[in-house]
Amino acid sequence: MDNSICQVYEDEIQSLEEEIKLLAEKYEDSQQESTFFSDELLMSTKSFQREFQGGSKGHESPSDLKAQLENLETDLSFLMKFTGIQFTSHSKKTVEQTRNRTVRKHRLSGNCHSLSFQLEFQLLEMQKKENVSAVITDLSIIMESGEDSDVSKFVSSTEEHRNLLTFFRSLSSYAEWYEHRRCTFLHFK
Amino acid sequence: GVFAHLEMLEARAHEAAVKQEETERQEEKLAGLKARVQELRRQRDELRAKVDLQQKGQLGQEGVVSDPAQPSARAVLERKIKSLKAMLQVFYLTGISGKLTKRGVCFCISTAYEGIYLDSYYLDLLTKSEVQIHRHSIPIFIPLEQIAKKYLQTDIRRFLSVLSDHLNAYVGRRYQADQLQERFSDQIEGILQRNSLCNLLVFNYDVSSKSKTFPFNARLLYGDLCCSLPTQATVSCAPDAPASLAEMAAAHSDLFRRVALHKAFGSFSSAEESVD
Repeated sequence: MDNSICQVYEDEIQSLEEEIKLLAEKYEDSQQESTFFSDELLMSTKSFQREFQGGSKGHESPSDLKAQLENLETDLSFLMKFTGIQFTSHSKKTVEQTRNRTVRKHRLSGNCHSLSFQLEFQLLEMQKKENVSAVITDLSIIMESGEDSDVSKFVSSTEEHRNLLTFFRSLSSYAEWYEHRRCTFLHFK
Repeated sequence: GVFAHLEMLEARAHEAAVKQEETERQEEKLAGLKARVQELRRQRDELRAKVDLQQKGQLGQEGVVSDPAQPSARAVLERKIKSLKAMLQVFYLTGISGKLTKRGVCFCISTAYEGIYLDSYYLDLLTKSEVQIHRHSIPIFIPLEQIAKKYLQTDIRRFLSVLSDHLNAYVGRRYQADQLQERFSDQIEGILQRNSLCNLLVFNYDVSSKSKTFPFNARLLYGDLCCSLPTQATVSCAPDAPASLAEMAAAHSDLFRRVALHKAFGSFSSAEESVD
């Protein structure tokens, strides 16, 4: 008799926890900048876990938080300088969320050296045992220099294969080369 | 008689005590669960209210219902930290991210194949005097030393770019081979032979033509380590096979060089369906 009551409570606890998780997600979504995807994705290589976790979760003092913020800002500004990729805006919307699956639509804009881009993509994340897998299920890219036929060919092929990573890697190389060429021309003017 | 009786009474009392303990424990557990349920319900209702207000646009950025005019300094910090972490995670999707360390930089090279994110690799660099690789998780069959010798000192960006190309091509090749084994195992005869670098694949597969199956052998060599398509594809059938099959083998060889392996096999199945 008692066991069944326990079970009823435990079931309710589980469903409440799920509901809370969903509501919290929904709330976070509507805030302007929100967490992208779970930290577990970055934790998938165990030996470098600590290196990449931006501090422990929980209650740190304001001075700890400030230090953490400064570290993150330094890291981010280093990455932007190093890769030449600057993001100017980023928003996301949860399209589907179940226990193990989350689908979010992202809007990202920025530039790489002097080339601007605008992206919209759909990211599917699935919880699998210890890892979180990430898959781009839809991708659309708008490039400022879209009139260039080479660029538009590259863009449509990238979109077709949903190669977000290839897009950025190629963009980075292309933008650097483009920048060199531009500087060279200016030099000769 | 008396002692036996006493023993029996003791035993009964003990039983009763154990039962009592058990009941108390159960009740405690129930009370605990009940309290948790109530707490969760409270949290859930609070969140619901927050989300409702948010939908109606009445919450400020920090979403503190009690005092909308004054988000705590702590909440502001936490929000900023969250958004920066999100930005860092976007960099993960671009293929190169990282974190500054006391003595240099720790880069993370992520890989993906056709939108599916696969393994990520770490490279811990020391940048005090000359650039040195302190630690890394690059597989041993990737020519890291060669690439480092060529680019690490003169052009770190190029070094990472070339390394990223190698790693992405490798995971792409591996993914195709894995997909072939997983999804087309019924067409593969025996084992799919491959090396660690996944740039040499040898396998036997069945081709059906006019309700008969013929064994084909394929040997794929990926000569360009930065490419996930083979540079050489040798497809052969039995020497006594009809001429039409030799033609098919040539067509397959061409296909393997142009199209991802698992996609090529996918097209065989659909082609057969339409023919039969």
